[in-house]
Formats: sequence, structure tokens, C-alpha cells
Amino acid sequence: MTGKGPILAIAHNTLRDAVRNRVLYVLLFFALVMIVASALLSTLSYVERERILQDIGFSAIRFFGAGIAIFMGVGLVHREIDRRTIYTILSKPVTRAQFLLGKYLGLLATLWMQLAIMGASFWLVSGISGAPFDGGHLTALGLVAVELAVLVSIATLFSSFATPFLAASYSLGLYLVGHLTRDLRAIGEAGNSEVVQSVTVWIHRVLPDLSSFNRVIEAVHGIPIPNTEIGAALLAGLAWCTAFLGISVVTFARRDFR
Amino acid sequence: MNAEQEIVRVERLVKDFRPGFGLRRKRVLHGISFEVQKGEVFGFIGPNGAGKTTTLKVLMGLIRPTEGACSVLGHDVSETAFREQIGFAPESPYFYDFLTGREILDFYANLGGVSSKQRPDAVARVLEKVGLAHAADARLRTYSKGMLQRVAIAQALVHDPSVVFLDEPMSGLDPVGRKEIRDLIVELNSDGKTVFMNTHILSDVEMICDRVAIIVAGRIAYQGGVDGAIGGDERRVDVTLLGLTPEFAEQAGSRFGAELSGRGDRITMRTPEKQVSDLLSSALAQGAQVEELLPVRADLESLFLHAVEESSGGSES
Amino acid sequence: MRVLKGMLIAAAVAAAIAVSQVWLPEEPVGSTQTGITPDPEWLRLASFGFDSLAADYYWIQAIQIVGDADGAAGRSREIGDLLEVVTRLDPWVDHPYRFAAVWMLDDEAAVRQANGLLRRGIEAHPDDWRNRFYLGFNHFFYLGEREEAAAVLEPALALEGRPGYLDLLVARLKVESGGLDAAAAFLGELIRQAPNERAQAAYRESLYEIEVERRARILDLARERFVERHRRDIQSVGDLVRVDPPILRRLPPEPRGGKWIVDEFSGSIVSSIVGHRYDVKVDGTNRELLRKFRENSRSSEGNS
Repeated sequence: MTGKGPILAIAHNTLRDAVRNRVLYVLLFFALVMIVASALLSTLSYVERERILQDIGFSAIRFFGAGIAIFMGVGLVHREIDRRTIYTILSKPVTRAQFLLGKYLGLLATLWMQLAIMGASFWLVSGISGAPFDGGHLTALGLVAVELAVLVSIATLFSSFATPFLAASYSLGLYLVGHLTRDLRAIGEAGNSEVVQSVTVWIHRVLPDLSSFNRVIEAVHGIPIPNTEIGAALLAGLAWCTAFLGISVVTFARRDFR
Repeated sequence: MNAEQEIVRVERLVKDFRPGFGLRRKRVLHGISFEVQKGEVFGFIGPNGAGKTTTLKVLMGLIRPTEGACSVLGHDVSETAFREQIGFAPESPYFYDFLTGREILDFYANLGGVSSKQRPDAVARVLEKVGLAHAADARLRTYSKGMLQRVAIAQALVHDPSVVFLDEPMSGLDPVGRKEIRDLIVELNSDGKTVFMNTHILSDVEMICDRVAIIVAGRIAYQGGVDGAIGGDERRVDVTLLGLTPEFAEQAGSRFGAELSGRGDRITMRTPEKQVSDLLSSALAQGAQVEELLPVRADLESLFLHAVEESSGGSES
Repeated sequence: MRVLKGMLIAAAVAAAIAVSQVWLPEEPVGSTQTGITPDPEWLRLASFGFDSLAADYYWIQAIQIVGDADGAAGRSREIGDLLEVVTRLDPWVDHPYRFAAVWMLDDEAAVRQANGLLRRGIEAHPDDWRNRFYLGFNHFFYLGEREEAAAVLEPALALEGRPGYLDLLVARLKVESGGLDAAAAFLGELIRQAPNERAQAAYRESLYEIEVERRARILDLARERFVERHRRDIQSVGDLVRVDPPILRRLPPEPRGGKWIVDEFSGSIVSSIVGHRYDVKVDGTNRELLRKFRENSRSSEGNS
């Protein structure tokens, strides 16, 4: 676990390989098309066009961000095993934990770069359309970045022992469920079944609550997001990343590469 | 055979795999033991599925042994730090498609502990060595299978290790490429490096290996020198004769213990060495012409086939 | 590891089933669902964090109903359900609340549903006087609930940007019985807010009707006096000036030069141009006013 040299080398290499992958640009291209198209789609409404434009823009960023994260995350480790690159890397003085963290950080850097590109185009389109872009928007984008970090750690975990298809299913499932837990809990608490209530409360406690990273509505409406909630979201993000990566490292360490 | 001379030591290595969820464990390695000495080219040979690659993966820390002990350079294989001194080229690997040969080797040199100052030189040197200098700046996705095989070998050498492990290094190469890799291995060996090589191409082993271990169905069937292996069998000579009657050929065959092959009046008789002069004199007396005399090498192949035959009975448990 | 894998497969299957359940089209539940609009709570689950996008989608659907050739008549419930979804998913939307006030006029239930939405709007935007204004207008104009209107409007007196006459309006709602002045005040504000000439003209039309009503009420009073004195009803409105002594010295002019007539169905005095009496309380019998108001609103909404 010690020594960040190999981690950084692997992260750098992962980033360098990813940014040259054309598939990435296809996805990014679609995201940018959606962001630009939001300006057109918003004209379907005769009022609050700026809001609708930004709703669509933010949604595109979140959708494609999550899509790219899962798409690239699930193959992250599996591809290395499949192609036997991991053999050569682990035959060097590199621990499995270093390898995993390096891959994780490399992909995260890739995604954050894309997020920056998407965010910049969002800012540009907003500016051209006369929609506001302020600290709230930056905060919302920052929380998307945190959500992506969690999502990549989830994908890394599944990628460390499952095939890409299964890992994608698991990751997507957890991503979707992560956006449900808070609402489920609210529904459970509104109902009058104590069993349902405690089940939904526990689901909310045990699984990540990804809706805490979704402050798009507030940003778009210019509603201030309390610093304490931002802080709590950052902390939760860090905790989940640590937890998922920790489990990944443990499962990965026990694994035979056949 | 002191400890310092022992580069690889495998003791009673057992490996079980579970083929699938709920299925019974399958034993792939049945307590094998062997060692590799400093400065030798060691051939680890066996048919497909015998456990060659599994053994190599255990040595590389990619697979945990079920039982037994393995060490490389005196370190348990679960450690990582000593790996600066070893290099490993897996069989038919792929690398990051979108990186160039130079970039990937720089990356591996970095992992191997080569300082950033020395890396460009080290990379250039190894590219030259494996014959990839011309393609150094092309992306790996444009490389042929043989070129990727060279990249695999190059990355195993780029940090100048003292031991090199090669898994089927000649696979996917054309005859010229194979010769180049053979020469490279010999060169590495003369630089003082120990080479451990998995292969099933026996002619390569015969040409370059000092010692071999033959693994069949998870058990070591033979371990020792290549020459010793060859000397163990009785030498024979292929005697090819023209103008013999079939009747005489058959008679002579049973008399001199020769195996017959060939057709018409051109017959090859594989004869034990000490019977050759007797066979020749009686054949010449019959008016036959001698076309060729060719000593048969009691080669690795027969040794190998012999080992496989011997263990095929009890091994498939 | 294998066990973990098996459990994960099971969990994934369970999640997939749950998700497919969420995506099932919702059967109309009771009378509140039209069948095309999902239940907001389910939709919130099914949108997986893309709530605002779903809100926008249903908002655009609502707009399209109004933009249909057939218009929004008879589709208040649909609009209401769509806006329910929109405002539940994203309560901070701004315009959809007033859109509800303007388009949900089919009947009393529709107006009350719109009022529910407006209350949500007031909750989401407590500092905005406009949702209160529309809610007050609905109470007063369509439901004839003056006191509720006053109660809704009163807190708006403290809000920034409120129209200057709001104080006066609230005062009138509290004391006046007929509500015509209040209606005129509301309409005056709607004219001020109307984005263009055409919309303003439409509201002026309503103001004209109110003026007609004010004058018709004078005629009603005269008619009562006539009945008291002569123990019989008038034959025509002209009787009020023709009898000796005349009850009115002269008839108040119809503002646009029309005539005053006794409507043969209702028996009440109406303007020959308007053809019916103004009624502040809208119900199924007073669809004409509703139609007119809807037109006014449409021109103000649709052309901004």
C-alpha cells in the first residue's frame, strides 16, 4: 500500500490511454450535442427557458458522466486481466492495491477532465442563452464530480471480480438504487407499516444516498445550498469511495488470475 | 547448490482450482518441486494444460499456492519489492492500444524502478534489442502479434532485471523472429542473466536451454540437463539403402533389430548403432547401394513423449 | 467470492424487477388520474434523480394541451395532473403555478385543484406576491369566496413588488358585498400585467362587463321599487321611466350604446350586447363568462 510512485504511474498511464480512446469522444460528443440542443429544446416552453435549458444541460452532464463512468469503470480491471497486462504490471514491484488505486485515479482523472469539458460547454451555452451561471452551478457540478468518484469506486469494486457485463449491471443497479434510497425512505416513513419503515430506513443507511450529490434543482433555481449540506455530501462521498475501494482492494488481493 | 546460486526454488507446490461455483476442487499441480540455478537458461516444458503457466503465475504472485513454498531470489513470491530484479513476459499479451511502444516501455520502466533520467536511454536500448526501434512511436494497436510479443519481452527487460521469466516467448513468431528471440535469450544469458522459459517448442529448448524440467499433468516427469536427457537413450542410425529385395530387408530388420520404412527399392532402416556395421556388410554383400547414413538424435522429443506416455496412466485423477 | 457473486446476481435481478415495477404504466387510480400522467411519487422514484428533467417534460406536455387546436376546454383535469407532477418533482418552478390558475377553469373542482397548486407555489416562493394574487382571484372570481380571497391576499401586502392598490383591494374584499369594485381592481391589475395590447383589450372587455353589471344593478333596484309600488313586474325596462311618477328619471346608458332588455329565460335585466348577467361565482351554468375569461387568459398567456 505504500509508495505513490506506482499509483501515479498507473493513473497517468490509464488517463493517457483513455484520452486517446475514440469511444470516449463519441460519448462526449453526444453529451455536448445534448448540452447545445438544450438551447433548442428549451424553446418548447415559452417561459422559464433558461431553467429548462439548464435542467437539460445538467441532466446531460450527469447522464453521460454516469454512463462514461460505468462504461469505462467496469472494464477497468477486467480488461487488464483479459489482456494479461496485469501480469506484466504485477510482475513489477507493484502491489495489487497500488494497481487498483492507480487504475481508479486514472479513470477518475479522465472523467473529471470530461466533466470539466462538459461544464465549460454548459457555461458557454448558458452564457450565450442569457441563463445565469454562478457559484450554485459550480457547486452542483462539483457535487457531480463527487458522485462520479463514488460511481467509479463502485464500478471498480464490481470490475475487480465480475465480468464487464455483470459489473455494468451491478453498477447501474447500485447507481439507480442510490438515487432511490432517500425517496424510498420518505415513502416508508409516510406509510403506516413499521416493518416497511424500518426496512426503508435501513436501506437508506446501508446503501449510498446518491441524491445528496444532486443539487441541480437548487442550482438552476438559484436556491442557496447550505454549506453544511455540501460538507456532509463531500464527507459522504469520501467515505463511500474509501469503503468501496477498501472492499475492492481486499477482494482483489485474494484473487487468482487464471 | 548453495542458496545464493538458487534463483528459483519450488517446493512441493500444490495448486487447486475450483472450476465453478459449487463444483469440486480440481488439482492442477500435484506437489511439484524444482529449482533454477543462477546463470542458466532453464526450460520448463510440457504439453498444453500440464501446469506450466500456472506454475509461472504462482512464481509471479498472480496465483496463490494452495500448498508448498515458492521463492525467487530468496524472497517468498508473495512479496513485491524484490520484483525490481525480475522481468516477466506473458504469452500473447495485449497492451494499452492507444499508447506507443516507447510510451508503454517508459511506463514499465517507471514501474520497474528506473529513474526518470535513465528511462529514455533504457527504453531506447531495449527497443533496439528486441528490434522494435523502427516502430517505437506507433500506437500498439497497429502492432502485429509478433511485435506485441517483442513488446512483452522488451517490458520484461527494460529495467535490467537479473532474472527473466518468459512464457512461450516464441509463440506467434515467424522462423526469423524465433531465431532473433533465441539469439536474444542467448545474449541475455551471456550477460549473466538467468532465464526461465516456458515452452512447448522443443527444438528451441534443445538449442538454448542448459537444463529442463518436464511437467506432465501437474507432475514433474523429468528434471535435469538437456544433454543428460538425450544421452539416456540408446543411439540409433537411419540407414537408407537402394536396390534391396523386400525379403532381404525384412530378414535383416529382424536380425539387426531395425525398424523399416520406405517403399520400393529405397528402404530406410533405423538400426541400433552397434549393429550398423554388420547390417552394412551384409547389405553390401547383397549388392545394395548405401544412399545415406544419418545418426538419430535421441532428442528431447522422444524423451518428452516417453515422459508423457509414462505418466498418462495415473495422472488424470 | 462465488457466494458473493451469486448474492449479487440475485440482488441485481431483484433490483431489475423493482425497477420494471416502477416503470409499469400506472393504472388510473380513482378519479385523480387520467391514465397518461404517472403518479408523482412513482415518477420521482422512476426518474432516478433526473427529477427536474421529468418535470420539464411534463411541463411541455401541459403547454401542448393548451396549444392544441381544440384548446384546453374540458381538459383541466389533465392539465392539473400534469402540473401536479411538475410541481411535485420540482416545487421551485415558477410559471406553472400561474399557468394552472389561468387554464384550469372547467368547473369548480378544477379551480380548486388549481388553488391547491397555487398554495404549493406560495409555499415554494413565499416572497412572491403573484401566486397569492392569482389564488385570491380564483377564490373571489370563480368561487365567490371573498373572505378566503382576502385572507390569501393579506400576507401579500408585506411582499416586495406588490401592486400599489393591493391594500385597497383587500380592504374592499373585506367590506364590500357585491364585489364589483374588487373585481374591477383585480382586472385592473391583470391589465397592468398583461404583456400586450390584445391581452389588455380582453381584460378591458371584462371590465366593460363589470360596468354593465354595476348599471344593471341600479336597474334591479329600480325594478324592485316598481314592483313594490305597482304590485306587478315591468313589461319592459322602459317602464321604469315611463310610469308616473317615473322611478328613474332616465335609464343609465349601456356603456357601448346597447339596449337594456328583460331576458326571456332568466327574467333578469340584461344588456343587449352582453346578453347575460355578470356573476362573480362561476359554476356550470355560467359558462359564457368562463369562455370569455379563458380567451382573455389565453391571449395573455399565449402571446407573451
